[in-house]
Amino acid sequence: MEGIEMTETMKEFFERRPELNCIIFAGKGGLGKTTFSAATSHWLAEQGKRTLCFSTDPQASLSDIFERDIYGKGIQSFAPNLHVLEIDSDRRVNEYQEGIRKKILDMYNLKELPKEIDEYIKAAASEPAMDESATYDAMAELMEKRDYSYYVFDMPPFGHGIRMVSMALILDTWIDKITEVRMKAREYDEAMATLRGKTEAEKEDVILKELTEIREKLDFFSGVLTDSKRTAFFMVLIPEKMAILDTERALKMFDSMKLNLSGIIVNQVYPPELLKRKDLGDFLKHRIEMQQRYMKVIWEKFEPHIRAVVPMYDREPKGLKMIAKVAGDLFGWKLER
Amino acid sequence: MNEEKKKGTEAKKAVKELVYGMAMHDMVRYSLKTRMYLEHLFMLITLGDMLGIPLLPPYYSLKMLPYAVPNIKSWQRRLFRERDFTDSLY
Repeated sequence: MEGIEMTETMKEFFERRPELNCIIFAGKGGLGKTTFSAATSHWLAEQGKRTLCFSTDPQASLSDIFERDIYGKGIQSFAPNLHVLEIDSDRRVNEYQEGIRKKILDMYNLKELPKEIDEYIKAAASEPAMDESATYDAMAELMEKRDYSYYVFDMPPFGHGIRMVSMALILDTWIDKITEVRMKAREYDEAMATLRGKTEAEKEDVILKELTEIREKLDFFSGVLTDSKRTAFFMVLIPEKMAILDTERALKMFDSMKLNLSGIIVNQVYPPELLKRKDLGDFLKHRIEMQQRYMKVIWEKFEPHIRAVVPMYDREPKGLKMIAKVAGDLFGWKLER
Repeated sequence: MNEEKKKGTEAKKAVKELVYGMAMHDMVRYSLKTRMYLEHLFMLITLGDMLGIPLLPPYYSLKMLPYAVPNIKSWQRRLFRERDFTDSLY
């Protein structure tokens, strides 16, 4: 379907999808995901929509882009409707760990944890997947509250970002299996209680309850992520070979996970008009020519997906002023043919 | 009178236990065993990485950990135990 349609601009894309409320930027590192997350949030806020821009990147950079220290400081706001959050996932993991420790001590009235359990908690908390899950959990928690009209997620570099989505699907299957085992165990509990003429099994299975809670959270979130009416995935691309290859791979991955790619934004394009200037040095000239060659390839390969082409700036896009400028370029872009 | 009543209830109890022993005990024993297997299977899925078999992401394992604490010792003992043919007899 999308292949037949004309290229939709970023603005048209948002205007035609009023139900949209979750926007995710994915792509290789350093291409401008954070910049576009900030710019999109800025634009939406300007349209009067209550927007939350949330960085899930452990090497978080929203602080840098907005030029404020917001890391681990909760939800901050420095423009009307524009709210920004950068979580400190290490701290979150630590707090979570402490919570589990305390729960065990309280549940069994212990003074200190058995050694092997303590060691296990320590080992589990240092696994890299822990951060990911904690972030994921935080995302789901935020969205469930429905406090904002738009949630813009700045995801960590590729692979990982998409993994978060696929993890939801895999986890869902696991939780299914575990729940099944629990249900069976409960059946046995009940049967035994009847055989012995007791009614002790009526006690609620707390584990089952906990599992159902995890499940509901995941279901809600993966439901949102796979609903193309509510969620948009954008990929950021630059006119270079590696990025093009990566995007092709990503398209396949999206397909295999039955997710819709909402669009591709081409970033860091040197203005081709510069080529007309006589004082242009060889270095820049070659770069621009190379980019233009790759731009052709990009249009051939991804035309129906392209939502905007954003230029290379003469300085780093930082601070509210620059973000507003990027937002203007991103949402003001029109196809010129 | 009181004595007789006591005897009656005792006899009743004895009959009940006899019937339970003949008909039900094996079923209960079998059920308990199956229940244990299920519990251990559950623990393997949720806390498998304790034994080096990571199945569930650790974030969710930790959430389940408090409930599994009392069973961890017996679970590990059963999984690490050496086995021989007599196992299948019981």
